[in-house]
Amino acid sequence: MGRMAFLKMSADKQDTLLKMLVLAVCCILSFSVRLFSVLRFESVIHEFDPYFNYRTTRYLAEKGFYDFHNWFDDTAWYPLGRIIGGTIYPGLMVTAAAFYNVLHYFNITIDIRNMCVFLAPMFSSFTTIVTYHLTKQLSNSGAGLVAAAFMSVVPGYISRSVAGSYDNEGIAIFCMLFTYTLWIKSVKTGSVFWAVLCSVAYFYMVSSWGGYVFLINLIPIHVLACIVTGRYSHKIYVAYTTVYSVGTILSMQISFVGFQPVQTSEHMGALGVFGLCQIVSFINFLCARLSSAHFAILWQTMLYIVGTIFIGAVGFLTLSGKIAPWTGRFYSLLDPSYAKNNIPIIASVSEHQPTTWSSFYFDLQMLVFMFPVGLYVCFKNLKDYNLFIILYGVTSMYFAAVMVRLMLVLAPVMCILAGIGVNHVLTTYMKNLDSVAQKDKKGRTKSDNSYPMRNEVATGVVVMMTIFLSLFASHSVWVTSEAYSSPSIVLSARGGDGGRIIFDDFREAYYWLRHNTPENSKVMSWWDYGYQITAMANRTILVDNNTWNNTHISRVGQAMASTEDKAYEIMRELDVDYVLVIFGGLTGYSSDDINKFLWMVRIGGSTDRGAHIKESDYYTPSGEFRVDSEGSQVLQNCMMYKMCYYRFGQVYTEQNKPTGYDRVRNAEIGNKDFELDVLDEAYTTEHWIVRIYKVKDLDNRGNPRT
Amino acid sequence: MNAIKGSLILFIIGLFCHTASPKTKQEVLQEKVHQLMEWSNRRTVIQMGGSKFANYVKSKPRNYSVIVMFTALNPKRGCSVCQEASDEFTILANSYRFSPAYSNSLFFGVVDFDDGQDIFRTLGLNSAPAFIHFPAKGKRKAVDTYDIQRYGFHADNIAKWMAERTEIVVRIFRPPNYMGTVVLVLLFSLAGGLLYVRRNSLDFFYNKTFWGVLSIFIVLGMTSGQMWNHIRGPPYYHRNPQNGAIHYIHGSSQGQLVAETHLVMLINAAIVVGFALLSEVHNPEMEVSKRKVFAIGGLVMVVFFFSLLISVFRRKYQSYPYSLLIR
Repeated sequence: MGRMAFLKMSADKQDTLLKMLVLAVCCILSFSVRLFSVLRFESVIHEFDPYFNYRTTRYLAEKGFYDFHNWFDDTAWYPLGRIIGGTIYPGLMVTAAAFYNVLHYFNITIDIRNMCVFLAPMFSSFTTIVTYHLTKQLSNSGAGLVAAAFMSVVPGYISRSVAGSYDNEGIAIFCMLFTYTLWIKSVKTGSVFWAVLCSVAYFYMVSSWGGYVFLINLIPIHVLACIVTGRYSHKIYVAYTTVYSVGTILSMQISFVGFQPVQTSEHMGALGVFGLCQIVSFINFLCARLSSAHFAILWQTMLYIVGTIFIGAVGFLTLSGKIAPWTGRFYSLLDPSYAKNNIPIIASVSEHQPTTWSSFYFDLQMLVFMFPVGLYVCFKNLKDYNLFIILYGVTSMYFAAVMVRLMLVLAPVMCILAGIGVNHVLTTYMKNLDSVAQKDKKGRTKSDNSYPMRNEVATGVVVMMTIFLSLFASHSVWVTSEAYSSPSIVLSARGGDGGRIIFDDFREAYYWLRHNTPENSKVMSWWDYGYQITAMANRTILVDNNTWNNTHISRVGQAMASTEDKAYEIMRELDVDYVLVIFGGLTGYSSDDINKFLWMVRIGGSTDRGAHIKESDYYTPSGEFRVDSEGSQVLQNCMMYKMCYYRFGQVYTEQNKPTGYDRVRNAEIGNKDFELDVLDEAYTTEHWIVRIYKVKDLDNRGNPRT
Repeated sequence: MNAIKGSLILFIIGLFCHTASPKTKQEVLQEKVHQLMEWSNRRTVIQMGGSKFANYVKSKPRNYSVIVMFTALNPKRGCSVCQEASDEFTILANSYRFSPAYSNSLFFGVVDFDDGQDIFRTLGLNSAPAFIHFPAKGKRKAVDTYDIQRYGFHADNIAKWMAERTEIVVRIFRPPNYMGTVVLVLLFSLAGGLLYVRRNSLDFFYNKTFWGVLSIFIVLGMTSGQMWNHIRGPPYYHRNPQNGAIHYIHGSSQGQLVAETHLVMLINAAIVVGFALLSEVHNPEMEVSKRKVFAIGGLVMVVFFFSLLISVFRRKYQSYPYSLLIR
């Protein structure tokens, strides 16, 4: 019966139904491929920053928007506190809280944590739909479907949007593509309606991610390219002036953005193109009204006057020292390697690394070469709106090559252009397959399109594309499962018998803090764990991942790097009740505090009060960082060392090794038998990954304990 | 004759012994400073070997301080940052030489690893470049070694450190680098000239093939990691020091060699050309005889080079489970 109904449908309806089915499958796929971590572990928030977003969302859902906006958080950066409402992009939290409230209105009582965990996969489903529409605007709906399918599984995007990675990027890519779709729509129609919608989408984008700066520069570049290539029209004028003026005013409503759109240099390009649009339109107007001879006179005088004024202004400002266009600084803007070569700290952050070809292949696979094919197709059939996607592709290509985290911005355009490329190849060869070609024969004589073995070649191409596409799908799922699905709050390892061992020490420790310490106690830890402690243990912390105050972090670093009596003074001064350290020596968890310790020393010694802490004291005379008996004495008597290795000297960790064998550093520790004077061990988790110490009070006579 | 010569030598030696012993500290100092001034007038950064270093920097008496750069400029040593650090150091030294603060209380020196390995050993240096200040009075402290890791080797930062250590404030004067400006002006005038000559037919500017080829070239360059090469400067290939085997492909996915990126760029380009051939087959202006060649050629190119790309990737990422045609 159902089959009969399908056959009875007109071709148009069948076409729509098929497209909707394919899109629906893409959406479901993009949601479900991101659930690896939920299925393997459980529905948890990942990593560090998402915990802060989660905590703020919970606050927003409980207290409402006005309290959220005026929120002064006194449990972080003790005793300074932090203004939260004005220093974040609120789009993510508002979105999650809005979904939460709507669902609760319909009596679907979802937990706010689950809302946060599943927000990113949900938005990636939306992104596939938007990708379809954007590609349809640029090419046709076939290309749109291919692009949507690419988008649903491309690893470069999955890396930032798996379930549990509750971060700004998760929704920002959706906002960005949505804004682009509406921009293309408004360029095509030239209507104020679409342009205003585009600026509203832009507002959403600004509210959710700092990367909106890319967008507000790309659209003006598109307009500029249209002007230069003579494709400028009234449609573009209407679209751009509306988007720029409405969008800028809207974006200034976000308190974190404030007056930046009219003050900072990265927004000046958009303003300049806005001005240029007015001038070009005025010239076009004059050109239409005046005779060509008069216009030529006017044009030349204007050119000379403007040129003289410009050169004069530049010369004056250079001589008076206001601007310096010919110094090294100017060229450093053009050369991305400048900052990296001269400032080692920038070079050491892994997210700021440039991108190797293998990570391009890892994140994009066949898109790497289908992208130029798509460019080729776009260039063969150049339109105003195609120009946009070409510019988007080439500029984001450059940024992704300079910095690996910007792969996220490149992935969508890769999908779109590769979709156009694949669609082009498939449509040309599908026509040549025999079953389709026979229909043609009835209508007309054999076309001149043919060549010997046409059908065989066509079959070959179609089979090849099928293999490539399925390889892409397998590759993406493999990459997602291998590389992008570990929550890092729950660790897992392979045991000796091949089974999976779960280390859940972080949550064990945070919940211990939550249930066993006084509510107003202050916990000192290195800044990496700040967001997690405030979100899960609900205790006041001294420093967190929003590293806005370097001297405060430095003070904590000094406490960790000093001897017990010095550290005790600092901890009394900072009013610390508990100290938390991460230790991997028992399990072999390598990103623990001993491995981060040199950063604590460097940062601790970087301020005036920590001038006595010198990095070189923590090395052996030959310049090595060692924890065994040959290591530096300063290191073996500092607070961090003692907290990590307290009682560790009595423990056997590996067969055929002495007690106190550190499995990360692969060494037997040097300082085994010691007692702590100013601290009590309060709690150590099952696998010793987290150790918590209580700071002793002054003794009965009010003297320190050392 | 011989006897005279011998006695003359004896006499000279005797003279030396005679004059050296009662020479006061003051005189020795004066001589040293005089010698250093002469050298630094010739070259602001004094080249130092083992003996010079021992005489003028290590040994007392001294009433001047010396800032020494320890470096390894020999290309054999493969220290890529040394040259840049050396340039910055020279800029600082020259700025000092021509500044009002110039006096005989501070000198700049350089010790190359190949001239004084034992100096490196005695100072416990195991990396180059390093900047160390030898103060006029008192012992050398830990802060007298400049922390390159933290501050980088920009001349301004070294000058700041120098001001802290020696209380001599120098304003860095960079010889203006006109190279970039000249190139820019040349480029602009060339482009302007070209536009002026061909002002009646600016078609090439609107020629989309030109722009298309350009942007595809940019994309191929970026996806094959040329930007990484530009920033990191890896070697072209790697020679294993033990057995002399030459590797063109870096063994891990964290790094890459230049040869490998060129290979990947060629492979990607070949696949794109293959697809372009496949799409040109349906161009109605093409002869029928060529079509078959184009179609089959394109197909073979695409499949072969994609298999090659996967196999190159497998060399870097050993646990990668997929392959096509080529293992």
